[in-house]
Amino acid sequence: MQTPELKLAARAIRKKLLDMHYSVKSSHLGTALSEVDILTYLFGTFLKASDRFVLSKGHGASGAYATLDHFDKMPKGMIDTYYKDGTKLAAHPSPLALEHMPVATGSLGHGLGVAAGMAFGSRLAKTQKQVACLISDGELNEGSIWEAALFAGHHKLSNLTVIVDFNGLQGFGKTSEVLGPEPVVQKWKNFGFETLRIDGHDFDQLRKSFAGAKRLKPLCIIADTVKGKGVSFMENTLEWHYLNMNEEQYQKAVAEVIS
Amino acid sequence: MRVEFVEALQKVMRADSHSLFVTGDLGFNAFEGIRKEFGERFLNAGAAEQNMASMAAGLAFEGFHPWIYSIAPFVAYRPFEQTRNDICLHNLPVRIVGNGGGYTYGVMGSTHHTLEDLGVLKTLPNMHLHFPCTQNQVEAHVQQISKLMAPSYLRLSFSGFPSNAFALKENPQTLTRTYSEGAEVTLIGVGHAVQIALTAFASGLIDESKVGIFGISKFPFDLESDQDLVEHVRRSQNVLVIDEHYLAGSIAESLKMHLPNAERFRVLAPIYKNTQAYGTPKFQLIQAGMTPEDVSFLLSK
Repeated sequence: MQTPELKLAARAIRKKLLDMHYSVKSSHLGTALSEVDILTYLFGTFLKASDRFVLSKGHGASGAYATLDHFDKMPKGMIDTYYKDGTKLAAHPSPLALEHMPVATGSLGHGLGVAAGMAFGSRLAKTQKQVACLISDGELNEGSIWEAALFAGHHKLSNLTVIVDFNGLQGFGKTSEVLGPEPVVQKWKNFGFETLRIDGHDFDQLRKSFAGAKRLKPLCIIADTVKGKGVSFMENTLEWHYLNMNEEQYQKAVAEVIS
Repeated sequence: MRVEFVEALQKVMRADSHSLFVTGDLGFNAFEGIRKEFGERFLNAGAAEQNMASMAAGLAFEGFHPWIYSIAPFVAYRPFEQTRNDICLHNLPVRIVGNGGGYTYGVMGSTHHTLEDLGVLKTLPNMHLHFPCTQNQVEAHVQQISKLMAPSYLRLSFSGFPSNAFALKENPQTLTRTYSEGAEVTLIGVGHAVQIALTAFASGLIDESKVGIFGISKFPFDLESDQDLVEHVRRSQNVLVIDEHYLAGSIAESLKMHLPNAERFRVLAPIYKNTQAYGTPKFQLIQAGMTPEDVSFLLSK
């Protein structure tokens, strides 16, 4: 997909996200909005049918659901069950619920290890799969992330791409103030990753960063993003990790996203 | 049991090209043969047990059957959430192998003792626990695990009162063993703890005509298939369980829940004392009051 199409897709996905969250009064909207462009690029362009995706930042599930639905990668109508009794689309991904996102996550620090195992296994089985794993910047607090990074770097898992949704906010503060991740690029480089830092909302930069597919190392993309991207009163705020919208807020948010 | 495990695993790995062996940086003088024979199907994941468990889940997603190995407390406790979320929730055939059940690691100290593993892991969905009674039962467990397309935990142990006795009978499905058939007391050893009873038996401290000795080695139980044991309890109404595991969450506790009610149900299990000292596995069992003589004494009461 070309950039104009990707932008249109991302706009539609953000609108869908607002509808989803408003209709069931669910939280985690800010983090879902921050990852939309990354997910749009991943599922709209980068990932082939047999490739693997792990959403290690499981609290961003709604963003992934909206993206998978947009690209017809989940059963038709399933998205309407989101967050409702009997759904497989819980606030965090459920085990084996979705073909294109089979791994249950929600406790931070798990997904990268699983993704590394998939990448190692694919290399061993010679199945040529690309494995993409989306993690959050707050998730960098978890020791298990660095265990997995050490493993991936040591084994030169060149079919593994880690994207850090670097929106600068975590559960109860700014990442820089809680357990400062900087110098984050140097850290990943030191763990054996080819590392790039980009604007995570810029499709041209996303395309360019993913393009180096014939590499010798795993790739880490530090994607600078804005939490709540696209909705002015949610952008760069902590509270929209937790709050849900009233009707007025919903109308305003939709107007901004589709404009 | 580690030697028997290696021999059994080599057979499995020769037969199943999807099986991999992953160690958490342990195995000196044990796994060199596997490393040499299986090449890229041997992997040292380093001293990083959380990643070893998650990564093994990823391997299983790609169709492999990984065996992940470490000292039992390191592989049972440190990556517990990885085992729960990444392995068990997805019902993946990851085979967790812990060496050093109970007091196996004796003088290595409390951090190396493993007296909560079965209690912790038996709570997990889809998990199958295997805790062989003796060295000569390890291969049967490894073979069963190799056919299981679900999570499992294999507890390898060494008893302070070792016995490698053969059983009178072994249920091929449950691997529950009958060592003697006396009818007055049902003496059940949980995994390698049965060796304390077998040592007492070999020393003449247990009257064969009065005591039925059983060794159980799998959880969840399949008591429908273990009718010999169930019927023995119904007749004796007098049960003594020996379990080298803290009582809370133990297999002994689960037996109490699942076996028919008996007039007497006693458990011989260790407790942690802040003042405890360290020595050989035998020393630990003496300190814990879990010797052949203790078993004999309890049977006489």
